Amino acid sequence: MRNGRVGTSLSGAVNVISKRNFKAHWVAPTLRELQRRKVIEEDRNGGPKIFHRSTFLEWNYDAEIFAFSNRLGEKFNDSSLRAALTHKSYIERETARLSDIGVESNLQFHDNEALAKKGGEIMSKFINGYLRAVFTQVPEELIRAMHDFLTSNATLETVAKHIGLGDLMLCADFPCKTETYVKSFKAVVAALAESSGEERARIFVQDLVVTQLYGQDVNELWNPVDPVGNLTAILKREGKAEPEFRLIRQAGSNSILAVYYVGVYSDKNFISEGAGESLEVAKEMAAREALKKLFHTEDSMRALPFGRQLKNIQSRIAQLENQPNVPLSEWISQKVMSAVH
Amino acid sequence: MSNSHLFLPSGFLRTPLQNGLGRYIPQLQRITLKFCKNHGGSRGVRDFIESDLMEFAKTNPGTVVYLKPRRHRSPCMVAEYLNGEREYLSCHEFSRDEVHKWLSYMCTRSGIPVMRFRKYQHTDYPTVQGVWNPFTHQAPEINVAEFPHGVLSKPIDHGQTATEQLIEIFKKTQIEDPVNKPSN
Repeated sequence: MRNGRVGTSLSGAVNVISKRNFKAHWVAPTLRELQRRKVIEEDRNGGPKIFHRSTFLEWNYDAEIFAFSNRLGEKFNDSSLRAALTHKSYIERETARLSDIGVESNLQFHDNEALAKKGGEIMSKFINGYLRAVFTQVPEELIRAMHDFLTSNATLETVAKHIGLGDLMLCADFPCKTETYVKSFKAVVAALAESSGEERARIFVQDLVVTQLYGQDVNELWNPVDPVGNLTAILKREGKAEPEFRLIRQAGSNSILAVYYVGVYSDKNFISEGAGESLEVAKEMAAREALKKLFHTEDSMRALPFGRQLKNIQSRIAQLENQPNVPLSEWISQKVMSAVH
Repeated sequence: MSNSHLFLPSGFLRTPLQNGLGRYIPQLQRITLKFCKNHGGSRGVRDFIESDLMEFAKTNPGTVVYLKPRRHRSPCMVAEYLNGEREYLSCHEFSRDEVHKWLSYMCTRSGIPVMRFRKYQHTDYPTVQGVWNPFTHQAPEINVAEFPHGVLSKPIDHGQTATEQLIEIFKKTQIEDPVNKPSN
């Protein structure tokens, strides 16, 4: 089935660069009435009719594949790329269709199951390498949270859609499901590793997937459950004094908009402060700020490097792909090295 | 001075998929040129196809170019972008240069619709040192101070009053009392 119905009304909309023109007085009312009837029909049928791009007359799959690899600036083996874009459902449908007609199918179709699995693994590896090389002070739990965000279905589907995989995939479902997009993208990564080498595949994943971390607050992706307990444990392991929480500022304690600033001190040295609407909240926020300072993930942390800025640390990234960071239960400042860049 | 009379939608500067942060991906996915082989209105498009199209296709290998000769139809180009948007432009009675210019215009667009930019800059990190709040730069002494306070109740950079300045000048010009002078 190469057509279907979609709930959104924006598919098929064309932006017209309009010119001045002179239309008769009856044109606008006629078009308005036709639009009204069209909207009613579409609502009744559950959305406007959509067609796959390959059903159009102007469609050349070979040219589209050529343009796809040039758009990304990568060289693919033709067979690898075509296999990466072919899904099992499509092969099953085609062989069923041909056997229905009565033609014996000797089609040499390779599906992307194996490629997708391999691509998922190497993509995880590359992402972990980057995160550990950039976030050197951060415990492994936060690395895992950021990795899970970057490899989530939502993120990968967005990336896959925006590099043009939607029209190129050979699959039986239309509109294509999220899993199909994600599988195709992972398979494309694996095909690139096969064709141009692991180095180019690493740069590809860094340029397309890891950049989705830009603008995200990493502290919203993960937060330790008991920040006060964790901070106490870390300071104890480092041999420093126990954290002491002191009220620094307060305002409006009788009102709804009360604010308390609590500061964390270790042996009379100021570590951080946090604000909250009650003393308990402020205390927890102060402990969180202290952990952020230790892990170097405050709001004022260094900007993440992307693209050409990664040239000098690529070897470091490759090295750290298999070395997990220190977990939270063992974290002390002395164990983590200073930031690379 | 206001923009409320404009029907043009407004928005902030953005780019699809953080384009340019990692690598730059040309956003024009494919372009379809529809023209008539006979009619005079398609002459510019036909001339463009004969002379400049190959060079355009070579310099933009990431864009698929489709040609659709259709008799008795006026020429047009439809650009499709990676984010799913389409742009239609009628090329009726364009010259060859106009077609070239509009085609290169389509190349430089992302699919995000034309809109009025509210600001020409955008950042996801608006503050580095932290947003000001009334407690920023306040002396910690205010927490345990009893008001009115000798120092904190006064304006910060008050400076000396005229009376105090005169008293200081007087003290400087004072002749020392020889009785109080320490003996050498």
